[in-house]
Amino acid sequence: MQSLDGAKRAEANPFLFTRIRARMDKKSNNGWERAFSFLSKPAIAVAIVVLVMAVNGWALWGGPDTSDNLTSDNVNVSELANEYNVVASVDNYDYENLTNE
Amino acid sequence: MANETELIEQLKQGDETAFKTIVEQWKDMVYNTILGIVQNETEAEDLAQDVFIKVFEKISTFKGDSKFSTWLYRIATTTALDHLRSKKRKKRFGFLQSLGGSGDEKETVPDFHHPGVTLDNKERAAVLFKAIDSLPENQKTAYTLHKLEGLSYRDVSEVLNTTVSAVESLMSRANQNLRKQLEEYYNKHYK
Repeated sequence: MQSLDGAKRAEANPFLFTRIRARMDKKSNNGWERAFSFLSKPAIAVAIVVLVMAVNGWALWGGPDTSDNLTSDNVNVSELANEYNVVASVDNYDYENLTNE
Repeated sequence: MANETELIEQLKQGDETAFKTIVEQWKDMVYNTILGIVQNETEAEDLAQDVFIKVFEKISTFKGDSKFSTWLYRIATTTALDHLRSKKRKKRFGFLQSLGGSGDEKETVPDFHHPGVTLDNKERAAVLFKAIDSLPENQKTAYTLHKLEGLSYRDVSEVLNTTVSAVESLMSRANQNLRKQLEEYYNKHYK
């Protein structure tokens, strides 16, 4: 039990500061590594997953109902087209129908 | 030479010379504390580097409510204990993996010889270190700080953020556990 009595303090490597400096330089040069290590922290990773799921959930169920806006937008576009006598362009489907005839 | 408060202020400004002075002044204290806890020289050196990098990055959070050395001891002990926990987790995971494999890989932990222990105490100290390694974290930390770093119970209580009587109790339980383990060891090997 007394074998540690009088034990001297262990001495660190005399080049400890140089090694610390080298590690710090390496760390600050590698931005991607830092970004990755930040994102891979459990709290951050879980927060990102929860956020993505929340945004998805909101988009699917809780988002603003855009169907009315789309309909009114389409009406506005048709009105504009009629007003300026713009003929609707032939799309692929029409083109196929035309060539089959 | 700048005093402690000036050095800390300079470090807060990002002064490289102040950082170097701090590392040179406290490196043995940090290394010895970590070495006592992790009982591996290579790991202790890497962890001592981690501690000083943390000091550089977190110095702005040091408000001066405690002594700088107390703050440093806290970072050193926390870093060392975190390392041991992660090592233990990896060991457990390795064990689970070995259950699926041949299962005959048995890890033998070599005896740890602290470089500061006198030659005539070397063998007995190695046995004691093995016993210290099996102590619960808080007992191990208190014992290491008191025995290896020579801190008083009051200083240990400041590092552990607890009361002096709590440290006394920790030390008493640590001594009891160590005595029990050493008795078992010597009964097994020398009787």
